[in-house]
Amino acid sequence: MRALAGFELIRPKTLVGALEALDTLELAQPLAGGTDLIPTYRDLGCRSKYLVDLGLVKELNGIFEADGFIQIGPMTTHSQVINSSLIKKKARALHEATCLIGSAQIRNRGTIGGNLCNASPAADTATPLLVHDAEANITSLDDTRWIPLQDLFSGPKMTILEPDELLTGIRLPVVSGGSSFMRIGRRKGFTLSIVNAAAYLEREDDRVGEISIALGSVAPTPLCIQGLDELQSGDMNDGFIDVVNDICLDQIKPIDDVRGTAEYRRDMTSVLVRRAIRDAWTSCGGVLE
Amino acid sequence: VIFELNGRSVEVDVPSTMTLLDMLRTELGVTSVKKGCEQGECGACTVLIDGAPMTSCIILAQQVEGCRVCTIEDFVDNPLMKELREAFLENGAVQCGFCTPGMLLSAYVLLRDNRHPTEEQVKVAIEGNICRCTGYVAIIEAIMDASQRIATD
Repeated sequence: MRALAGFELIRPKTLVGALEALDTLELAQPLAGGTDLIPTYRDLGCRSKYLVDLGLVKELNGIFEADGFIQIGPMTTHSQVINSSLIKKKARALHEATCLIGSAQIRNRGTIGGNLCNASPAADTATPLLVHDAEANITSLDDTRWIPLQDLFSGPKMTILEPDELLTGIRLPVVSGGSSFMRIGRRKGFTLSIVNAAAYLEREDDRVGEISIALGSVAPTPLCIQGLDELQSGDMNDGFIDVVNDICLDQIKPIDDVRGTAEYRRDMTSVLVRRAIRDAWTSCGGVLE
Repeated sequence: VIFELNGRSVEVDVPSTMTLLDMLRTELGVTSVKKGCEQGECGACTVLIDGAPMTSCIILAQQVEGCRVCTIEDFVDNPLMKELREAFLENGAVQCGFCTPGMLLSAYVLLRDNRHPTEEQVKVAIEGNICRCTGYVAIIEAIMDASQRIATD
């Protein structure tokens, strides 16, 4: 049938080896789990002459806690994220989102870094990480730096990564609040999000200490909602949720596509924002009337 | 590439662009691994790599260097797989049979890790295995049945 063609596979064992390959080889591209890249190449042909497989680079894999951060290697598979008790306990939204990605076969192969660098506006790992204030570590042979995760995305399926740069780490601060992930797709499982929403809340008795919301598949990139800081110390009630919802609707720019219309996405944004806020609130011990 | 296939060490000379699926079928003659969508969606090409189910159509052959790859043939004498096979037959969970090797491998991993799954857990485990014949009901019943059988053993 449709055979793959046109590339040579390189399998460096170290991060330096991978960075050198990307730096020196013409038209080289990193390969993470391949669950998006290989099917795309089969359909559209290969634009790269070299695929640099990061699967053997041990320092890019794993989850650990250090210096007040949860650090996640970009080559950590979705299954590893799901099985991490640290993520389940301290970044619930990411755990729940990851459980909904692909199928068991895809979760065993696909990676969190691949999901982010593929830069789909619908990426299910992006919104939970955004509400958890995640940062991305970008590394080339000359330089390494941390940037807010939001800045990694420059458009649909586009990142700010230069050809010689790699996403080499993801970190999120260890926090005290609760988070939630909600999505709507055509089916319950193994499907792309038509809209997804993540919420993070800190509770001070019946008041909201801090709140952040991120939305997927309603803008050219996963979207972290701005301007929620001013709402801090509001009472948690329907009126508060309405205000947050209005702020979200002001900032999304949904489009019509094969999976849904812009109008449907606007309506579902409201549904999911409400569900996610309520669920995050309950998850940190809050009560709703 | 040198790897372990169903407990035997094998060495095959393959180009960068060959998938694990094509290597298994054309270079090694393992035709129980089916070629369906070639997109990682249908699960007919499911194999176990180091014990975890993955779709071999979107994995490059050279990437299994040093890995343990298992296909349905590795489980001929496996007691859990024997229960699953019998439950599939008795519950009418096999019609054309194209999805069956992949379906059995996904079901095997589920019951290996969780002997008493709920129906919901069964559905999640076989989400990545498409069947165009049965409508899934018989397959889900067969897996639940096999789970009962191993409980009473």
